Amino acid sequence: MTDPLELPKAGRRPRQTFELEETGFNEVPKRFRRFYRRWRGPGDKLGPNEALCPVCKVVIRSTKELRAGDRVYCMPCMSRLELVEEDGMLIAKVIY
Amino acid sequence: MTEADNPHELGEAEFRATVHSFEFWFEAVEGYLHGRPYGVSPGLEEVDLTERQRDGLITTLCNYCVGETAALDASSGMIGFAPDRGAKIFLATQVVDEGRHLEVLLHRMKQLGVADPDAEIARRANRSLLKFKDRLLEFVDARDWEASVFAQNVILECLEFTVFRHHAGTADPVTAEMLRGIVSDERRHMGFGENDLGRRLLTAPHTHDRLYKIKRQLDSLVLDTFAETMGELGIEREERPDLAGDYLAAVARLGFRS
Repeated sequence: MTDPLELPKAGRRPRQTFELEETGFNEVPKRFRRFYRRWRGPGDKLGPNEALCPVCKVVIRSTKELRAGDRVYCMPCMSRLELVEEDGMLIAKVIY
Repeated sequence: MTEADNPHELGEAEFRATVHSFEFWFEAVEGYLHGRPYGVSPGLEEVDLTERQRDGLITTLCNYCVGETAALDASSGMIGFAPDRGAKIFLATQVVDEGRHLEVLLHRMKQLGVADPDAEIARRANRSLLKFKDRLLEFVDARDWEASVFAQNVILECLEFTVFRHHAGTADPVTAEMLRGIVSDERRHMGFGENDLGRRLLTAPHTHDRLYKIKRQLDSLVLDTFAETMGELGIEREERPDLAGDYLAAVARLGFRS
């Protein structure tokens, strides 16, 4: 089976895009609030455009589907993160 | 939405300049503190506490005051030897946060009937936490940036962030809302510390061994404080959350083994 990461860009499934709604998250300036939400505990599930910040446990949201290698910012704790794939799951790791 | 409103589109330097600014701080704290005197919504009703619950809560708040005073003294001192203007500005916002935390905690103690908070803090303060505070202030007096950031923004802030989050989940409604506001501030302080130190360790790996020795000195004080706080809150040993887990995960990300 071909690793999808090895396919030429044209052969990859296009990324899904997302319209972000307000989530009630209020710990960053207003214009950035829709990019974050609170983690609701063990029953919570991350969407394809979301990643959990390992530093402060806030959910980071993007307007596009996240994939391994993407970089996102957690504004509430000021961390820069990179998405990596581990055991088939997408994990956010801090890059200093 | 403009591109400037998408945080993930910012360049690294632009991101750092944005989040380390007073402008960012003003607009962030407005979201969760505006209209909440002493961090609590007007009209939020008190619930009756048993005498044991009230006494345990007062002891816990006394220890929170020790931690917040340590952070206030340390962060204000660190401005004088912070390595760049961005760090100085960020620390100035942290000083304001720490002063507010101390104020709301003292206010809560008064609401619980404590007439002389200073005397109560002196009587009830956790010895391990006091030792931690002394050690932190020694690093600040020595103008040792790496050790100060590590002890304050990584270890102390991680301890506070973890304990306050768990406590907010079980506390009475007034204490819980006050704590949630503090937790929102602590995210910034903790993240600043981990990221600053993480960048420094990449360029000065020899710092790692020195900080590891400091971590070993401070670990027992931190872990004792976690255990004692859980006892004060009346949480049975077998039901206690893994508070040390978050702390150990943070230091592990920086490359320190436990």
